[in-house]
Amino acid sequence: MSTTTFGWLILLFPLLGTVVIGLGWRVWRGTTAGWLGSLAIALAFASAVGALISLLGHSPDHRQLTSSLWRYDFTAGVDANLSILIDPLSVFMALVVSGVSTLIHVYSVSYLDSDRGLNRYFAYLNYFVFSMLLLILAANFVLLIVGWAFVGAASYLLISFWYRRTTATSAGIKAFVINVLGDVGLVLGTFFILRHTHTVDFLKTFAVAPHVFPHNSTDLVAGCLLLLVGAFAKSAQVPLHTWLPDAMEGPTPVSALIHAATMVTAGVYLIVRMHPLFEIATTAADVGAIVGCLTLLIAATIALVQTDIKRVIAYSTMSQIGYMVMGASIGAYSASLFHLMTHAFFKALLFMSAGSIIGAMAGEQSLDRMSGFRRSLPFTFACFLIGGLALSGVPPFSGWLSKDDIIGYLDNRGGGFLALGIAGYVGALMTGLYTFRMIFRAFFGEPCEEARELEGGHLAHHEAPYNPANGELEDTDVGFPGPSHHIAERDWRMRLPMATLALLALVGGLIQIPGVDNVISKFLAPTFAGSRLYGLRAGTGTDWLGLIVGAAIGLIGITIAFRIWVAQPGTATRMQQRLPALHRFLLRKWYFDELIDALVVRPAQWLGRFTGSVLEQGAIAGGITGGTTAAVRAASAAVRRAQTGFLRWYAALMLIGISGMALYFLISAA
Amino acid sequence: MTLSILIWVPLALALASALLPGRLAGRAAVVWSAVALAIAISFLARFSSGVAGLQFVTDDVWIASLGIHYKLGLDGLNVALVVLTTVIFLAATVWSAFRQWERPRTFYLHLGLAESAVLGAFCAQDLALFVAFFDLMLIPFYFLTGMWGGEQRVRATTKLVIYTLVGSLFMLVGAVATGVLASGQHHTHLTFVLSALHALPLSHSSQVWIFLCFAVAFLVKMPLVPFHGWLPDGYKAMPIPAIAVFSAILSKVAAYGFLRVVLPLFPYATVHFQTLMLIIALVSILWGTVVAMTTPDARMVVAYSSVAQLGFIVLGIFSLRTQGAQGALLQMVNHALVTAPLFFIIAALAARAGGSEKLADMGGIAFRAPVLATLFLIVTLATLAMPGSSNFIGEFMILLGVFNSKLAIAMVASVGVVGAAAYALRLYIRSMHNRVGPSVSSFEIRPGELLPLAGVAVVILVLAFYPQFGLQRSDATVTAEIGAVRLHSQSVYAQRGPTSNPPLTASAPQAAIGGTNSGSNTP
Repeated sequence: MSTTTFGWLILLFPLLGTVVIGLGWRVWRGTTAGWLGSLAIALAFASAVGALISLLGHSPDHRQLTSSLWRYDFTAGVDANLSILIDPLSVFMALVVSGVSTLIHVYSVSYLDSDRGLNRYFAYLNYFVFSMLLLILAANFVLLIVGWAFVGAASYLLISFWYRRTTATSAGIKAFVINVLGDVGLVLGTFFILRHTHTVDFLKTFAVAPHVFPHNSTDLVAGCLLLLVGAFAKSAQVPLHTWLPDAMEGPTPVSALIHAATMVTAGVYLIVRMHPLFEIATTAADVGAIVGCLTLLIAATIALVQTDIKRVIAYSTMSQIGYMVMGASIGAYSASLFHLMTHAFFKALLFMSAGSIIGAMAGEQSLDRMSGFRRSLPFTFACFLIGGLALSGVPPFSGWLSKDDIIGYLDNRGGGFLALGIAGYVGALMTGLYTFRMIFRAFFGEPCEEARELEGGHLAHHEAPYNPANGELEDTDVGFPGPSHHIAERDWRMRLPMATLALLALVGGLIQIPGVDNVISKFLAPTFAGSRLYGLRAGTGTDWLGLIVGAAIGLIGITIAFRIWVAQPGTATRMQQRLPALHRFLLRKWYFDELIDALVVRPAQWLGRFTGSVLEQGAIAGGITGGTTAAVRAASAAVRRAQTGFLRWYAALMLIGISGMALYFLISAA
Repeated sequence: MTLSILIWVPLALALASALLPGRLAGRAAVVWSAVALAIAISFLARFSSGVAGLQFVTDDVWIASLGIHYKLGLDGLNVALVVLTTVIFLAATVWSAFRQWERPRTFYLHLGLAESAVLGAFCAQDLALFVAFFDLMLIPFYFLTGMWGGEQRVRATTKLVIYTLVGSLFMLVGAVATGVLASGQHHTHLTFVLSALHALPLSHSSQVWIFLCFAVAFLVKMPLVPFHGWLPDGYKAMPIPAIAVFSAILSKVAAYGFLRVVLPLFPYATVHFQTLMLIIALVSILWGTVVAMTTPDARMVVAYSSVAQLGFIVLGIFSLRTQGAQGALLQMVNHALVTAPLFFIIAALAARAGGSEKLADMGGIAFRAPVLATLFLIVTLATLAMPGSSNFIGEFMILLGVFNSKLAIAMVASVGVVGAAAYALRLYIRSMHNRVGPSVSSFEIRPGELLPLAGVAVVILVLAFYPQFGLQRSDATVTAEIGAVRLHSQSVYAQRGPTSNPPLTASAPQAAIGGTNSGSNTP
């Protein structure tokens, strides 16, 4: 089979999975749909492996292959085909996405075992994977935007999966609208680029870009900034990040897959894919780097004080993607993708572990209520610890090698980039702090009631389920949360994916050790053949110096966390009392939600009410309709008798019109 | 087979089936609308995509002394719309056939007359014939609203009659003036045939006021802001099949009128009023969007979303770019394919929410109606022009056209794209999701709801995979027409410039159609 055939198969299996599960929603009993879905994604992963092997069979100069099925939007200067691009970058992404997705599908089978919406869930989840793979494999802007928006729609469907929860539906619409804003950014950005390149095809665009765009040309910078709007919306970078914490309303496996491992990294992929453009529009690239840097710092500070365990991990995701966006913008492409991969492993692992605790807590997500799960959930504890160590960048875990790969590149470019690198170290310190704050609070200390119950051998669950977010009684019609919903690490279908990811989080970094193997940067090299930034690397010695500094900073963060939450309990409370304003500021998440509400949401609603009432009633109904009606009445009064009835007016006026027309012709013909 | 058969089959068969007993009227209507669809498809199959000019022309003298011909023809502008009309009418008659109507034979006879008139308006290649069909197609809707409408139908019908009547009179005046002045200014015989008028360009001053006459008629019919005064009452009062057809098809006749009549015959005025028309379209987009986002009535969400969508269509037409016009034509099809099912869905929602169409009375309907929820979701996502739907390609091309001619307007219009996501999802979530509403008793979709909905949904899905199907058929005609408008207006200015205008203003119209924009993709 040719390489591109594998590419089409990667897309075909998840799509087939969606259709088969969706159409057979009445047929599939029990967990059948879950296994079908997992199989579809596993086959996609196998196809991605096939594509990899087949691609490696080509010489490095011929590793960018396109294939198209039919014309999609091919008119008036737009040349979009239904076409895919298979190159090292897309194959790398496809491997990460389909691989992690397979594991999370298996985990979901267990997590949603008793949910009445299981078939719907897996149809959505397969649709998501299809969309994400379409985004990755698209060979032109139009198809990229299609995948981009599909991913947003799938995310919306899964966030609002428990659709009777008003918190879930409002989180869903928020995520969707912000994502559509990103789509619009992508569309307008494409226009700016298309205007000069006259093609939407990626490879053709990249080939002509250096000839039609001067360095930092206004249109290209505008186009790239608009592409960044899309990237920021999808990857939850400030100020378009507010949907991501709310998206935690979705089932936990969804958070693991979409809102940690795959979809939110699409912005990083976009920047890396568009690197030939960003290397010309360096101003836009700088903006990307600065926003990424701000995001990583802001998100890390918020993560320090939040109490909802999933939201802490969500802010951590934002922060880690900040690193990737920063790295991708300044040219650390392989480092960013490396971090994207290791982050997918350890962050999915952390979410799965959190799901296990939440299961044990009967749906409760607050860290304030959790403690002492170390003995009752030993497997989850081990996984969470591995994920936490990888996230904090402790050797030899994968996050250590990948994060410091990005920071090392920044330091090496020097100048202003050095400042970004130092900010990266500050972020790393906070990463260690908030990660181990979670671990120390959830697993250490006196076991809470639920933990003791679990030690006694049975799971806690409430008599009547409440939504912890707003206290509403849950509507269990749509499946949330059935009594056997809480499995908590007892099931092999949960343990197997967690163990696999734990292993990957531990050793996944070893494929890219400076001076030893550098598998990723060598494999990706053909995609970046024309890049002037790709090859910029410090010597191996400098890289190792950076790794040592990074490891030290991560360990310092963990030590501080240990002193605050274990060695001297009560320190956190004292600090909150000493700095109440700062604490409130961080707890309210820098007031971004309030700001957007005041600047966008409420004015739009006010405008709608104003238009609907004042303008419609006054100007249109009163002025124009009233005026016209009066004029017509006056005119028709002349021809009608006392009878009413609109059809008579019409007939009369038609008669007058036609007679007038005839008269006119008679006169003009004479 | 001539186009005459296509046009008159619905009316003829509807008349014939009026002889049948009333209880068979619904089934007979399904048969005649299916026959019309089959005939339309046969024309589509025989249509050659690469040809810019008219195909399947029928040309007979109708009123010799006035130079009025009975001339019909298909080209890239109307071929898709003709097929679309028959699809939507079939969906509407299927929907109606599952329900009981008072005086069913008259009801279906009006639908048949409406379909014939609409098809006639789309196929007409003579200005007087177009006007005749345009006015004819309104008459059945007055009766459908007045006799089978909801509450306040008298008030709604009055408003509808007055508005469309005023619009029609403007158009009548404009049409007569076009024929008379064209022959007068060129000293030829009186003619109303469009291709002949095309060769007899009017003086600029005549073009300007005649343009305004046609514009008022078309803008009232769509409607766009501020000509939409009849819309709230009219949409609320019409029975579901009538409103589905009206919103899906009749509004498109008006938009099509711009492409068929206004752009080719009044190129100078088109360029002259480009900015005005773009601003009207832009205001409609924003106005429709914000009202749709806040109105408490489900039907009004769809009504005002139509205002916004038609704003996009006019935006595309008056970008005066091939991309924009291509997008506008595709979007006419796309919008019809989502708005008609949305009205069917609203009927289905009301049936589950105790008869109310208020969003506050709905909620949580999805649980016992998963098929309805899925179909509604597909239509919702298409409505908000999610990439991957054909609607997205339509909007993409429209915005690209506007972007290439007036960048700032494209930027502002894209706010409407984001707003569409907000109002479409609001409608979906408030009705299908959240807590179960007070008077809601949900049940699974019934055959009478499923058939028309699923049929149209299949067309939406097929077009989503292959929007090129529509684009390639209109490509040649649109390219020729837009090219002619731009070439004509440019050559006029080039001739007139040095003598009658100072040099500065001579170059201004060039800028007005984007002549200074070097990045145009139009050949």
